[in-house]
Amino acid sequence: MTLIRSISRRRFLATGTLGTAAALTTRGVEQLLAAEAQRQDKRVILLWLAGGASQLETWDPKPGRPTGGPFQAISTNVPGIQISELMPRMSRHLQHTAIIRSLNTKDGDHGGASRLMHLGRRDEPSVKFPDLGAIIARELGRSDSQVPDYVSFYTATEGRGTSLGQSGFLGARYNAMSLTQEQIPANLRRLEQISEMDHRARGQLRDAISEQFMRGRESSAAGSQREAYQRVPGLMASEKLFDPSSEPLSMRELYGETLFGQQTLVARRLVEAGVPFVKVSRAWWDSHGQNFETHLELVSELDQVLDALLTDLQQRGLLQRTLVITLSEFGRTPAINASLGRDHFATVWSCSLSGCGILGGSVYGKSDEDGNDVAEGPVGAGQLFATIFQALGIDHRKEYALGARPVPLTNPGSEPIKAVLA
Amino acid sequence: MVSRVVIGFLLCALAVSRAILAEEQPTAAGALPDPELTIAAAIDQQIGERLALAGFPPAPLATDLNLLRRIMLDLAGRIPTAREAREYGESNAPDKRRALIERLLESPEFVAHQVNVLDAFLMQSRRSNLRNYLELAVAENRSWDRMFREMIVGESGDDEQSGAIQFLRSRIGDIDRLTNDVSVLFFGVNISCAQCHDHPLVHDWTQDHFFGMKSFFHRCFENGGFVGEREYGELEYKTVAGESRKTGLMFLSGKQLPETEVSEPSEEQRKQEKAHLEELKKQKRPPPAASYSRRARLVEAGLESENASYFARAIVNRTWQRLIGRGLVSPVDQLHSGNPASHPELLDWLARDLIHHGYDLRRLIGGIVSSDTYARSGKWDSASRPPAELHAVAIMRPLLPQQYASSLALAAFDPEPLNSPDASKKIEARLQFGRGFADWFELPGDEFQVGSEESLLLSNSDRAARELFGDGGDTLVARLRSCADLSSAAELAAWNVFNRPLADSERQLLVEYLEQRKDRLPEGYRQMVWAMMTSAECRFNY
Repeated sequence: MTLIRSISRRRFLATGTLGTAAALTTRGVEQLLAAEAQRQDKRVILLWLAGGASQLETWDPKPGRPTGGPFQAISTNVPGIQISELMPRMSRHLQHTAIIRSLNTKDGDHGGASRLMHLGRRDEPSVKFPDLGAIIARELGRSDSQVPDYVSFYTATEGRGTSLGQSGFLGARYNAMSLTQEQIPANLRRLEQISEMDHRARGQLRDAISEQFMRGRESSAAGSQREAYQRVPGLMASEKLFDPSSEPLSMRELYGETLFGQQTLVARRLVEAGVPFVKVSRAWWDSHGQNFETHLELVSELDQVLDALLTDLQQRGLLQRTLVITLSEFGRTPAINASLGRDHFATVWSCSLSGCGILGGSVYGKSDEDGNDVAEGPVGAGQLFATIFQALGIDHRKEYALGARPVPLTNPGSEPIKAVLA
Repeated sequence: MVSRVVIGFLLCALAVSRAILAEEQPTAAGALPDPELTIAAAIDQQIGERLALAGFPPAPLATDLNLLRRIMLDLAGRIPTAREAREYGESNAPDKRRALIERLLESPEFVAHQVNVLDAFLMQSRRSNLRNYLELAVAENRSWDRMFREMIVGESGDDEQSGAIQFLRSRIGDIDRLTNDVSVLFFGVNISCAQCHDHPLVHDWTQDHFFGMKSFFHRCFENGGFVGEREYGELEYKTVAGESRKTGLMFLSGKQLPETEVSEPSEEQRKQEKAHLEELKKQKRPPPAASYSRRARLVEAGLESENASYFARAIVNRTWQRLIGRGLVSPVDQLHSGNPASHPELLDWLARDLIHHGYDLRRLIGGIVSSDTYARSGKWDSASRPPAELHAVAIMRPLLPQQYASSLALAAFDPEPLNSPDASKKIEARLQFGRGFADWFELPGDEFQVGSEESLLLSNSDRAARELFGDGGDTLVARLRSCADLSSAAELAAWNVFNRPLADSERQLLVEYLEQRKDRLPEGYRQMVWAMMTSAECRFNY
């Protein structure tokens, strides 16, 4: 039932009045733009804080307020911006970072909210939307790429079911290479029974007999099959990217010897090698009880990892073309419950964007004094996604055609937040 | 939220809308071919006329062996064995194709494959709860209208709700989705857009159409996992302008269905109903059937003569797409007046023929695969390839997961044991073994793309290496090792995997490959077999 085509082709078919040349020209321009976006080698690392990180213990502290909790706010290297004292290292990177403090996404259920923040819109019964990673893989990945387009780490079991990648109507070509228990993706390693030379040679034999067969035939699906096999050697060679042990000890220590730290280091290795989208998930932030102990531990870890990642990307000259996002499915209630916990809260919460295309040192939106409501500039999931696309030079209004139905990258009406864009 | 996007569409839609509105029912009488023609003859006449008009001669018919493979994949869900291929190739019987089609249509393999096809189509999954029903219904060759009725209303005597009603039961948690699924699958129209606003592109479909269709289902509810239906309740929805509106029962054609008005139950009656349902839940029993069922009204309305063409055209179009590679109307869920068929008279003729012959899908399938149009070669060697919708040349189709899995399972094994009298049992055992591989592959939608998950898996997974590309006792590779020379080994492999002899250039390529591995021939054979089984030829129906 699904059908993805260039929208200009659909319009051409629908009206039947456009000349072929006109339709092709539109399509050509689209392709040129897409090629341009790909040429710039832009990338995304999403740090997914599964379970719901507290905005009050990270990007939007409320010290001294009844809702503020025990932690203080600290100044950062950008005058006027304060963040939680749990993030002392991050406070040195605000010149590359925009904070959004006014997310209002309305869904306080882990499952639905997680889908929402992965898809940038609500699930619809009749359409399987691609998630952020799949769209980025399609828009920024190259068909001849020798590395994966989309890699996703999710080692914990909590919340994993609703956070796995979904390529939706874009099809299996844009599925995440997904790592759960394992640290290296399945089927990347050559079996011992075949030598490296024979492995390559049989792939070439496969291509050669397929090519003979395809003479006089035409099929884009067969073309995709050829590409899928031609990518095999490159994907296998990317196995080493998943091994952080080849990094110097000082680098591994910079990221911290935690799973999250080491996976983020791998994420940096992957983007450096050309992978357009990597998601690293850290669970489980769902602090209904003991919110402050939980956040002391998890935010401190996040602080180290973010500091390491931004420093590392900067030193390698990658930060200008790598967008680093921290995001959860929702935030946490300003009210502190009887178990000293904070509950699910989607009414006003925060996320951060650093690097590529972002106006550093900016803060968008405001929560009210106690953090109960948005005081200024409410932001929905669609707007956040439009902002992310824009930061990467991707037109968020671009449409995929699903049968006769046009599906824009973000729902109509979702405009990017210009104030945080460079 | 009138966005740029929607406005863009309205502009597009304006250009076409005027012309559309008239065309609804089958086109002007007299335009259709003779009802007495065979299905194949009607197809070839209509396709041929368009081709002549466009100035394209059709491609020649595919070779016998090509056609055997195509028909076997479509009717039995697997490639032929080497022996079946040789025998068919050698046979001089003038009507061997017809005999093959007739034999396959009566075979258990046809039933098994048709169940896979329908299950994928209706449930989008390989292990749904509808399979038991489908196995029974397809084996009996139940008519499509009866199957429709059974899936929507249920079968009499199915108190456990374990049969056809699984179609509805599995969707009962989401009536919007149920409404759209029924519209797409049985009537070929995707009205999901019209849920929130009148369809921006398609004049035929308004919010009333969506909610009119939803009205047939909105009295349905789930109770303890069972489907129930109330006898009261009206559906109201909000228009884009924010007004509340009731549609009542309305079919996709726009036809309103009158009903006698029912009063809403009193508080007391509601309480009683609730208590009764709670009781039934505890007893794990389904709610009693409604004495007046709106679902039943839908079936009735959908099948009555003035509307039946929607229902018939939708399944004809789907079947055509499956067997030919592209719907007469494409995409297949866009059967509306703004998206005309490539061959409107043919679609209408096939729909009428289906209705006249009691919605017999087996007959329709047999008719299509008997046509010359179906049998065209997929090769087009001269410069300008005609557009796909002219059907001058066959379209390559990716195999369904089960088709590829079954074909791999047959290709991987020694053909010799299949020369025995109990070959069919052995084939069945191998197909059974192959079923385990189906999960590896994605169900192809339109514009399907093979992902690197598949290529990595077949390249490097231990299980694939062991179970499909091994060299043990009953494998193809083991048999190749006993061949007299490299050339005959390559030839035997080609018969087993491709069901045809090798061309000289291919033989040269393969023998050269093997010669370079003379010091480690079993490995050379394994690699050759791997290359053949992962090739484009093995992955597609061509």
